[in-house]
Amino acid sequence: MTEPTRKKLAIITTVWDWRSHANHMSERFFSGYPSQGRWHRPEMDMVSAYVDQCPEGDLSRQRAEEHGMAIYPTIAEALRMGGDALAVDGILLIAEHGDYPVNEKGQKLYPRYEFFSQIAQVFQEDERSVPVFNDKHLSYSFEKAQRMVAMAQALQFPMLAGSSLPVTFRLPSLELPLESEMEAALMVGVGGSDAMDFHALEAMQCMVERRRGGEVGVKAVQLMDGSAVWQAGEAGRWSRGLLEGALARSDSRSGIALSDGRPQDLVHSGELEELVENPAAYFIEYNDGFQATLLMLNGAVQDYTFAARLKGVSEVQSTQFLLPSKPNVTYSACLMAAAEHLFTTGQAPYPVERTLLTSGMLERCLESRLNGHQRLTTPELNVCYKAPEASPFCGSFV
Amino acid sequence: MNDIAQNTSPGRPRIAALVTEYRRYAHGQNIVDRLMGGYGWEGRWHYPELDVVSLYVDQFPENDLSREREARWPDLNIYPTIAEALTLGGSELAVDGVLIIAEHGDYFLNEQGQTLYPRYEFFRETVEVFRRSGRSVPVFNDKHLSWNWTWAEEMVRTSREMGFPLMAGSSIPVCWRIPAIDLPWGAEIEEMLVIGVGGIDTYDFHALEGIQCLAERRKGGETGVVAVEALHGDNVWQALDDGAWDPALFEACLCRSLSLEPADESRRHTYPTREELPNLVQKPPVAYRIEYADGLRATMLLMNGLVRDITVAARLKGQADPLSLLFYLGAGHEMQPNFFNPLCHHIESLMLTGRMPYPVERTLMTTGLSIAGVEALHQGEKTLPTPHLDFSYQVEDTSTFRRT
Repeated sequence: MTEPTRKKLAIITTVWDWRSHANHMSERFFSGYPSQGRWHRPEMDMVSAYVDQCPEGDLSRQRAEEHGMAIYPTIAEALRMGGDALAVDGILLIAEHGDYPVNEKGQKLYPRYEFFSQIAQVFQEDERSVPVFNDKHLSYSFEKAQRMVAMAQALQFPMLAGSSLPVTFRLPSLELPLESEMEAALMVGVGGSDAMDFHALEAMQCMVERRRGGEVGVKAVQLMDGSAVWQAGEAGRWSRGLLEGALARSDSRSGIALSDGRPQDLVHSGELEELVENPAAYFIEYNDGFQATLLMLNGAVQDYTFAARLKGVSEVQSTQFLLPSKPNVTYSACLMAAAEHLFTTGQAPYPVERTLLTSGMLERCLESRLNGHQRLTTPELNVCYKAPEASPFCGSFV
Repeated sequence: MNDIAQNTSPGRPRIAALVTEYRRYAHGQNIVDRLMGGYGWEGRWHYPELDVVSLYVDQFPENDLSREREARWPDLNIYPTIAEALTLGGSELAVDGVLIIAEHGDYFLNEQGQTLYPRYEFFRETVEVFRRSGRSVPVFNDKHLSWNWTWAEEMVRTSREMGFPLMAGSSIPVCWRIPAIDLPWGAEIEEMLVIGVGGIDTYDFHALEGIQCLAERRKGGETGVVAVEALHGDNVWQALDDGAWDPALFEACLCRSLSLEPADESRRHTYPTREELPNLVQKPPVAYRIEYADGLRATMLLMNGLVRDITVAARLKGQADPLSLLFYLGAGHEMQPNFFNPLCHHIESLMLTGRMPYPVERTLMTTGLSIAGVEALHQGEKTLPTPHLDFSYQVEDTSTFRRT
């Protein structure tokens, strides 16, 4: 029985099987999640769903039965719960998995923008808006992503988006002070494109947005891969000192560390170049002259680490974005704590512009790859915003 | 007996490592390789300012790596006896520090379930060399002191009498914590609970250290333990149903875990119900109930399968919510055992400064608690008075766990 005072949520998703984002995230509302030493049960209920694809292994029907949730054939009906007016208090838009085409840039064309447009249309028609959480990037297309943010502004509804990496645990619990005089930053990530590179880019962005003057946008990007990545390092395009700082935070094992247990200083041993299957470097040049680099180092590591150099500070600042493994994959609870905050307070705990800019950085980097790894100027990525004073991540509070 | 201040060895400290075996991911390998080849520390790769120059290896299994290391590092030599490792083949002590790492290998398992690792034997032979040489150097003893209380107590007494620093214990007190907090120094604790994994005589020690490294910071410091009770299997569940420990502490521990197992084949992320708990715990659970001299009560639970990590919770006087945290050791064996990094950092500090980063009495206490728990189980889930553990010690307020 849903009590009248509890908020009602709709979930709009592509696929809902047991390894999907839809399952991990909806579970936090159905079953609760661990938070600050307690099993927290949000004061809200997931009451309606739209599921775009239902291959074998679909769990949405089972969940609907277990929780009295209704599944509707269209997004509009899900939001109106079969009635004639918007009937929910918050929306989770989760479109990460499923069978969708891949474009020439290598992007999977998940219908986030399309789903979001239908949501906004309901808001417009019913003359009422509610908060929307959008999982991961906004759209594979920066132009569509911009339109999503513009729709939220026009219809005046709070919107939160992004990956779980910015809000997961950090080892150590590093938060760079706002207005840090940052000289350079480097992120190390793993996994495929365009799935895992987004996570790594957004983790990097949530750190560098705290630099002096705030975020002022990106003027150019370039994606390199293969041996050109190492050559760029030798030419000083990215810092081996920062790479040492990042990898000092890695707990991965590979190569010698795996075969005979000796921890390896990969940056100086020469082993890194042997281990990495196909390195990729995402160079981001910001409008204020700041430069940050994401290195995707598959084969050498399995975790996500970050390092930055601050002016006047001799030690490199570095951390690992910890992704706790199965069964609980607790990082998704960290993300849903942020979504719950959005639904409860109507305030996004961090700006959607972070995700907008990261979505654009990724798309333009993939375009650079398609265009022979050329440097692309990106006047359209002039996304400016201020990082929040307190940027909550799991473990940053007791 | 001379103290370490008379150590005039120029340059970098030279260290002898006495290990039961040296194979991949054995404690000996993890510690010595980090001291020799460095490890990630803060924002860089850290090369310790010392050299392991001699190795005594008690057993050479097929996958032994010690001979490979001897060939790899020109300054490192394997000696056939402990005395020769400490004297570098000469007649007098010739090293500036000693590591006793006797956790793995093929040793006798007694009827109580204790593996008779030769820590005390290694220590005794070390001390013999110290006596003969009229000189002592710092000693690090990995994990518990001995499986035998009399011997453990003798190890600590000997180090005091001869005036050499003795540091002991496992990585638990010094590893990452999530969240990165310590028990406020001088806080009044009403009750503590730790949930760990593994078996008795091995991982019970780690869980007990998880209690003790926080409990010792309470108001008045450590005042000693007067009794230990042990429970097994259904009696643990009965104790839970009887309210033997604060249920909020149990929930806090499970909610700090990053490995909480759900009841239905991982398709859900549920909190286990009381009915589901026995099915999730794969081996019969074990509980040690510890009664401290100042009235503090602490419980250690081993619940393999329900979780795969070690969490602790404490009820502080006047605080509505328990303090709780995870001792983060990484994602099992899929990752590097980098929880040895902070332990190696403290070992290096011991060898460079001659100062113990934390008192060996902590390890003496946890050694005694583990022995008492194992004995109480062996005697049929008894409550054993522990007059020998009724000793006190104090810690400084500076935290020694990894935070940066």
